[in-house]
Amino acid sequence: MNESDTLGASLVRSGVSRRSFLKFCTAMASLMALPPGAAYAMADALSRAQRQSVIWLSFQECTGCVESLTRSFDPTLEQMIFEMISLDYQETLQAASGEAAELARVEAMKSSYGKYLLIVDGSIPTKDGGVYSTVAGVSNYDRLIEMAKGAAAIVAVGTCSSYGGIPHANPNPTGAVSVSDIIKDKPVMNVPGCPPIPSVIAGTLAYFVTYGKLPELDHIGRPKVFYADTIHDRCYRRPFYDQGKFAKTFDDEGARNGWCLYELGCKGPTTYNACATIKWNGGVSYPIESGHGCLGCSEPNFWDNGSFYRPLSTPLASNTHIIAAGTLGGIAAGVVAAGLSRKHQTHIGEEK
Amino acid sequence: MDLLQFARGPALTWAATVFMFGITWRLVGILLLKRSPDFSEARNATSWLGAVKLIITRSWPRREFRQRTLFAQSLGYIFHVGLVIILFGFAPHILFFKALTGLGWPNLPSAFIQLTSGITLAALIVVLVRRLSHPVLRLLSNFDDYFSWLVTFTPVATGMLAVAHFGARYETLLAIHLLSVALLLVWFPFGKLMHSALIFISRGTTGALFERKGASI
Amino acid sequence: MNSLTHINIKVINPLPCQSAGLSGNTDAILHEILALLEAFVATGQTGAIDLHSLPLTVADYEVLRTTLGDGEVHAHINVIGKTEVRETLYPGVWWLTYYNMEEDIVADLLEVTTIPEILKSPAEDVREGLACLRDLTGAVTMM
Repeated sequence: MNESDTLGASLVRSGVSRRSFLKFCTAMASLMALPPGAAYAMADALSRAQRQSVIWLSFQECTGCVESLTRSFDPTLEQMIFEMISLDYQETLQAASGEAAELARVEAMKSSYGKYLLIVDGSIPTKDGGVYSTVAGVSNYDRLIEMAKGAAAIVAVGTCSSYGGIPHANPNPTGAVSVSDIIKDKPVMNVPGCPPIPSVIAGTLAYFVTYGKLPELDHIGRPKVFYADTIHDRCYRRPFYDQGKFAKTFDDEGARNGWCLYELGCKGPTTYNACATIKWNGGVSYPIESGHGCLGCSEPNFWDNGSFYRPLSTPLASNTHIIAAGTLGGIAAGVVAAGLSRKHQTHIGEEK
Repeated sequence: MDLLQFARGPALTWAATVFMFGITWRLVGILLLKRSPDFSEARNATSWLGAVKLIITRSWPRREFRQRTLFAQSLGYIFHVGLVIILFGFAPHILFFKALTGLGWPNLPSAFIQLTSGITLAALIVVLVRRLSHPVLRLLSNFDDYFSWLVTFTPVATGMLAVAHFGARYETLLAIHLLSVALLLVWFPFGKLMHSALIFISRGTTGALFERKGASI
Repeated sequence: MNSLTHINIKVINPLPCQSAGLSGNTDAILHEILALLEAFVATGQTGAIDLHSLPLTVADYEVLRTTLGDGEVHAHINVIGKTEVRETLYPGVWWLTYYNMEEDIVADLLEVTTIPEILKSPAEDVREGLACLRDLTGAVTMM
């Protein structure tokens, strides 16, 4: 391997000192709860690694995930991830457009075939031949199949590419599905969230660049280092849940005292994400800390789980008409049954 | 649709529908039955007082049998009171009723509910052991008894696990808890659990009859 | 209510605490340092504890700070924000706090070693510095 091709050399060329690189690795290791000594090994491995070629495909999405990563509060530290990867194709960020952009994608695919990391944000529409979202005249579905072939691994960034997200919500007019619904023969990692926490995106990418493989995943493809605990498990308001102290409205005494938001529809107990520990906006706070319940945005079908303000322990929909119909049916059946019995009773009486 | 969505959605809706159908069918069917005519002269003009009196007196062990029935009756009271406290005192349950009926009331502390659930479960287990070990009770018991016990026991047990986040992920535990409640609702009108309504009707009827005849209650 | 200061906000300690706001984790950390230091003296094996990964209260930090105290070395590193490197009262036990540009802590570690890696000049940087200096002195003599 050519010495000057390594990440360490290219970092030095772009003015990043080795100390700042070690600092980045320390922060990332701490973030991912790796053993503290791992930072040195990580820095060592990374400095000798080659820049990872990354091709980023945007499908049915809102660009919120890219915004989350690129406008993170700690640009110097988190954007160092961009020094570690060679982002060869990203429609929003790249300078090239039109034929030149598409050429860049084909070039990157050819030159690092079998080695590039494919990042996908946005869901893939499958209805009517996938016509609902196309880039350069090619449907998202066909583009994904084409680009997945040469990928070492695929990272689905955001809930849309991970689980279908908002486009997938009932009635799902475009037949939107997730990356893992289509690609079965490549390792796919889901980094859900609407959007995901920037450090989580950066951390998982750093992990792949360092170790050349995806971190350990849970049963729905999420990296366990960030998605092992529920928001509720790590919530600072948890003691109030345990004590049964709940805010009943957003402006009552309980809300002012910082009591649990379960009754206001918080989805923290069923949502696996790192918001309560890593937090948002450079560690300022996370939704519950700002007084609003968790929406569960990193979970499959989060848009179809009833109102955001409907508590978890209540039925999803109030189907009172069905229950009322059942009740009326019961009364009718009762009347009929009683009528038959009365007839029978009279009959017995007459026999006597 | 995942398990929790199924449990919170169609499972609960249909279980509640079956429950309401069954309850109204049985109650209306029984209440509309023809009463056999009583030709004797009534000793008391109003009989409803006797109905109330008998409902109360029969809820207490009779002095003559107190020694023999005290243990079983206390056990029964412990888990019945426990079930009422859990059902109507726990905050998430109150939210459930509020979502269905619009009525809400203050909740009890969660720790107290957990303690009550523990005692209730213990009492339910003792009740089952007694049913299995008592020769006469065992002979009297059929599938209905055991199944009714099971559908009462599981919601309490799964509810405790869900609150403690123990054994599986919370969403799975909550879904299992809700499904066990759905099973309870479906079975309720058709098995012996229906005693929760019928016991007052049968006692009231007997009490009214006694009052009319002037029998001691 | 005409000003934000009139809104009644009560700050509640986020962690369930024992007496005086302590979680009990300080004792565990001190014992772990002891074990790491013993291992370091016996075998030369270095070690570290990531304080960020542990639930610590403000009081816990205070206890840890005062117990470990400030030793002889206190270094500042200026790369993408500050990094504070302090040796504690116990030689070989270092407290490293990494800040980002906004002065938020991004990593907080206790290291057991003779000198933390981040203080050492990286060999490649030394070589590159040498080359730069050579160029400079070469340029100076040429003048």
